[in-house]
Amino acid sequence: MDLTEFRVVLDDWLEDHAAELAPAGSDSTLDAQMAQLSRVKQATYEAGWMRWGWPERVGGLGGSPLLRAYLGEALTSRDLVEPGIYSMTEVLAPTMIDYADPDLAATMVPRLLRGDETWCQGFSEPGTGSNLAALSCRAERTEAGWLVNGQKVWTSLAQYAQRCVLLTRTGTPESAHRGITAMFVDMDSPGITVRPIETMHGAPEFSEVFFDDVVIPYGRTLGEEGQGWAVAMDLLPFERSTALWHRAAFLERRLQQLVDAAPPGALDPARLGEAVQLLVAFRSRSRATQYRLHEGQVLGAETSIDKVLVATAEQAVFDLAEEGLARTVVLGDGAEDERWRSEFLYSRAATIYGGSAEIQRNIIARRLLDLGDDR
Amino acid sequence: MDADDLDMFRGSLLHAVESCRGRAATDLDAALDELGWAEALVDEPRPSIELFFEAQGAEVGRSHSLQRVVLAAGAFAPVTSDQPIASEQPISSEEAAALVLPSPGAALQPGRVVGTTVRVEGIATAALRDHAAAVVPTGDGLLTVPLDHLEVHSVVGLDPSLDLVTVRGRAELAEVDVAGTTDARLGEPGVFDWDHAVGRARVALAHELVGVARAMLDQARTHALDRVQFGRPIGQFQAVRHRLAETLVAIDAAAATLDAAWLEPSPVAASIAKASAGRAARTTARHCQQVLAGIGFTTEHPFHLYLRRALVLEELFGSERSLTRTLGEQVLATGQLPPMLAL
Repeated sequence: MDLTEFRVVLDDWLEDHAAELAPAGSDSTLDAQMAQLSRVKQATYEAGWMRWGWPERVGGLGGSPLLRAYLGEALTSRDLVEPGIYSMTEVLAPTMIDYADPDLAATMVPRLLRGDETWCQGFSEPGTGSNLAALSCRAERTEAGWLVNGQKVWTSLAQYAQRCVLLTRTGTPESAHRGITAMFVDMDSPGITVRPIETMHGAPEFSEVFFDDVVIPYGRTLGEEGQGWAVAMDLLPFERSTALWHRAAFLERRLQQLVDAAPPGALDPARLGEAVQLLVAFRSRSRATQYRLHEGQVLGAETSIDKVLVATAEQAVFDLAEEGLARTVVLGDGAEDERWRSEFLYSRAATIYGGSAEIQRNIIARRLLDLGDDR
Repeated sequence: MDADDLDMFRGSLLHAVESCRGRAATDLDAALDELGWAEALVDEPRPSIELFFEAQGAEVGRSHSLQRVVLAAGAFAPVTSDQPIASEQPISSEEAAALVLPSPGAALQPGRVVGTTVRVEGIATAALRDHAAAVVPTGDGLLTVPLDHLEVHSVVGLDPSLDLVTVRGRAELAEVDVAGTTDARLGEPGVFDWDHAVGRARVALAHELVGVARAMLDQARTHALDRVQFGRPIGQFQAVRHRLAETLVAIDAAAATLDAAWLEPSPVAASIAKASAGRAARTTARHCQQVLAGIGFTTEHPFHLYLRRALVLEELFGSERSLTRTLGEQVLATGQLPPMLAL
């Protein structure tokens, strides 16, 4: 199936099933969003949509990744799913497909696509934010398997997750990026403790995850021992490709809703015009990235530009929302008011999560401008 | 054109611009005529405009190509977006050199018909003096106004290399011809589609601004690698690196809006591209000037030529500031965002 056909038949299907897919109520808590996500994933998987763009060996129906980009756009622009939690699939499934034992990938990936399971990504640690290669969560070889001890933080959706793609230190503490190994962990393994973090935007999306003598079978190793850095580096461009196209659709919808909702005179035309331009630029950039993925190109450092552009556009849109809907954001206590407030606050993190704005600029300077090492 | 053709075309255009460095605008016009650029502009508008104007920007070259784009786009507005600009003869460089453009900051037609009089206020290049009449876009089509009715003043201005002149005056309609009466293409008053011409001009200028900006970034990058302070190249300092990274982001953002303006052409897409390119050029000039520091402030370094050119191009057919505000006002007036690029 090609994109043109997919678009037409999917749009029709979404229209026919609008009532059953719509969120049950105005409840915008994370619990409600997760339940809605699972419902929409299941319905779209059963109808086949969610399987397009994924390889047949993991339960997919094949076809271009453009189909995944369009499905996420279609669901996001209809407000059926929250794009951040929806797009986790785009980051974690390719990693499993590329690095897991094929039988394991064939068993597990359909569960993620169908919404039966939630997965999380255990990368950051208290002492390892921007400097990912310094991670210290330790995995040691034992007869029973890897023995893992350590702590992760900022692990999105860990409290909902059945599995985790975990980065561990298997080399010496000084081995930096050479001594890292990735593994696929069952979150119900004995010794794992999850503690959600309360954040300023009100949804406990992130957690701390503690590992105390957790045993992980060797069959769950992703790639080879010591290859974890490559797993992480291959995963990161996925955070900045299909997932960002979904985000573009979300930002467009919210900006239109802001124009609809703002009282007369509340939006400064110059700032509104600039927000539109930034969104057009980001969307066009991201579209080109989707087509590079479609052509089978390997994405790399150039996706850091996409990431800077999405963060810039997102903050421009929600800065404008905070100005244009000042009364709502400051005083409103209804569900819609709370949503604008929460999304505005969340947008403050757009230049922090997924590689901070400074890290992206470091990558651009070193890899795209070829300015050499910075020390 | 396939990828190899495009590479060759790009190479030829760059060579033409480089070999005409420091020479008159009409020399580059002639070099482009030899390459068949005006024909390509008709048949393959995107590569012709994109590749040439980025090359002209990169070399701060000068020609009457913007005027040719305006004339071609105004005379042959396509009915559909994928139709070539025209199916007839290309615009000659002679005709282009006589064209009056809007003054910096303006985007309305430089000629205005009031009653039985046409009033003219705009700019052209010094080559206008070689012609008996100026070609003036108005709301009533393209008119030729005899030069003896117009005051033509040479200006030094911000970018002396452009050899600009201001053109001002008035003539009775009885003394004015419809431009190109011998040529069916321009024969009918009122057929000149100014909005389409403005859109194409904005896209061309945006490409030229991107070319200028990439050249400034290249100069600053080279300087950051060569200049040593505190025992190391200044390009190792994060403050310098982040300025240059920020610059590349701004330029690539502008390039993305241009891509959008070609994929789904519209007046609003062209204005977004022009505004984004203007913003990118200003951002680039600010960061690169700071990285180049002292040497970039002298005329021993070419940076100042690029800064001057960027600011002039920024003001032609609407600046970033005015286009951005207008866009916001349009969205508020209609209640609708402009259509976004589909996947």
